[in-house]
Amino acid sequence: MLQATSVLAKPSAWGSAEGWAAEVIAVFVKDWRCEFRTRYALNTLALFALTTMVVMSISLGPIGIDRTRGTKVLPVLLWVILLFSVSAGLPRAFIQEEESQTATALRLSATPSALFCGKLLYCLTLVGALELLVTPVFVTLMNLEVISPALLVGTLAAGGYGLAVGSTLVAAIIAQARTKGTLFSVLAFPVLLPLLLLAVELTFNAVAGGGGGVALPQLLLYDASVTVVGLMLFPVVWNP
Amino acid sequence: MKTISAWLLWLWVSLVILGAFYYAPPAEGFQGGSSRILFFHVPMAWASFAGFIAASVWSIRYLMTRDLRHDRAAEVAIQLGLVFGVLATVTGAIWARIEWGAYWNWDPRQTSILISLLFYGAYLALRGAVEDPEKRARLSAAYAILGLVVTPFLYWIMPRLTFSLHPEPVVNAEGKPKMQSEILQVLMASGIGFTALFFWLHNLQTRVQALAERKSAAREQGYGA
Repeated sequence: MLQATSVLAKPSAWGSAEGWAAEVIAVFVKDWRCEFRTRYALNTLALFALTTMVVMSISLGPIGIDRTRGTKVLPVLLWVILLFSVSAGLPRAFIQEEESQTATALRLSATPSALFCGKLLYCLTLVGALELLVTPVFVTLMNLEVISPALLVGTLAAGGYGLAVGSTLVAAIIAQARTKGTLFSVLAFPVLLPLLLLAVELTFNAVAGGGGGVALPQLLLYDASVTVVGLMLFPVVWNP
Repeated sequence: MKTISAWLLWLWVSLVILGAFYYAPPAEGFQGGSSRILFFHVPMAWASFAGFIAASVWSIRYLMTRDLRHDRAAEVAIQLGLVFGVLATVTGAIWARIEWGAYWNWDPRQTSILISLLFYGAYLALRGAVEDPEKRARLSAAYAILGLVVTPFLYWIMPRLTFSLHPEPVVNAEGKPKMQSEILQVLMASGIGFTALFFWLHNLQTRVQALAERKSAAREQGYGA
């Protein structure tokens, strides 16, 4: 009897997991399809980042900043560019649903956790694309020497993930408020601040040639705890 | 009963103030009587911290019960936590000017409390931007819980980034208070007094807020009829 139930239970559990994954992918695909119609987020992120980098590069001169000062300053500038580009483009993921009044349809058709993961995946690909664009241009424009590129890549991956997950949750909150655009920065910056401090520290280590130290596990722990709390809080934020 | 407890609180805090200036000796190694600010600065920081923790607990309870009274309690706890937090920051800055020579020097604790204040200021900004009470309660409770998860990271990160001169006689690595017994007695009494003061103010303010909400609801109904 016990065996029979477990055998019976298995396919249905698998079926629901498959259904959940299909929902996640459906949300992800829908978001990119909408994005390619207007290219709002792509244009904003890319142009914002490029403009800022050009301004910085011109101000710092044709050969960049000298090595000792550069290692101190440039990691901070890199993460400031990433943070501001993200806050210009990512909140769109949820604001657009409220503005075009598709939020209710989405509430009816998708499970909250699947929706959160789908949106997160969309934000993650956006942040990943942004980092792929920004980092090489930044490194070449600023004449930045990176001593341990592996650590830089790891930091960008973990930091980018943290930026995406924190912003996704805060975007879901502010999309339902009145003053959406300005409120995102006000709410997101204190949440993302620990992440940025850790990411800047690790980027500095990558440039100056130090190890990950305790900062890398802390960054991963930040990512994990924000993901867990995001999955727990999102249904509350999303469903009235 | 309520009046008696309010008078008892008044008496207790008055005794703490007297004790801070006449009973406790000035701590060794500090300039003049500057160490006496400890009896007010530490309990204020503690009350602010307690307020933020209590607000998170009320937020969780709101999400579990959907009872708007818990939401109101959380909001008031954060308002009062901000007031006590600002007072702790200002008293700390005055003390830092006397002892370290500058009001502000990005000490890890100064930075952590400043960022906590920014976070809870953002919480109030969020509340201001949502009109519907249910939605406001839901969103702000979620944000307060997010803060509970995110802000502890600062307490690990900050000490690594900046150098600290902050004295740690009570909460230290050995886990034993290192101060004269008279100073410790007054500090503990002050801590109890400030905690009671916090919850007394909290009780008053939640009742005031509840009355204000009832009044505006009654007015709206009056216009509707």
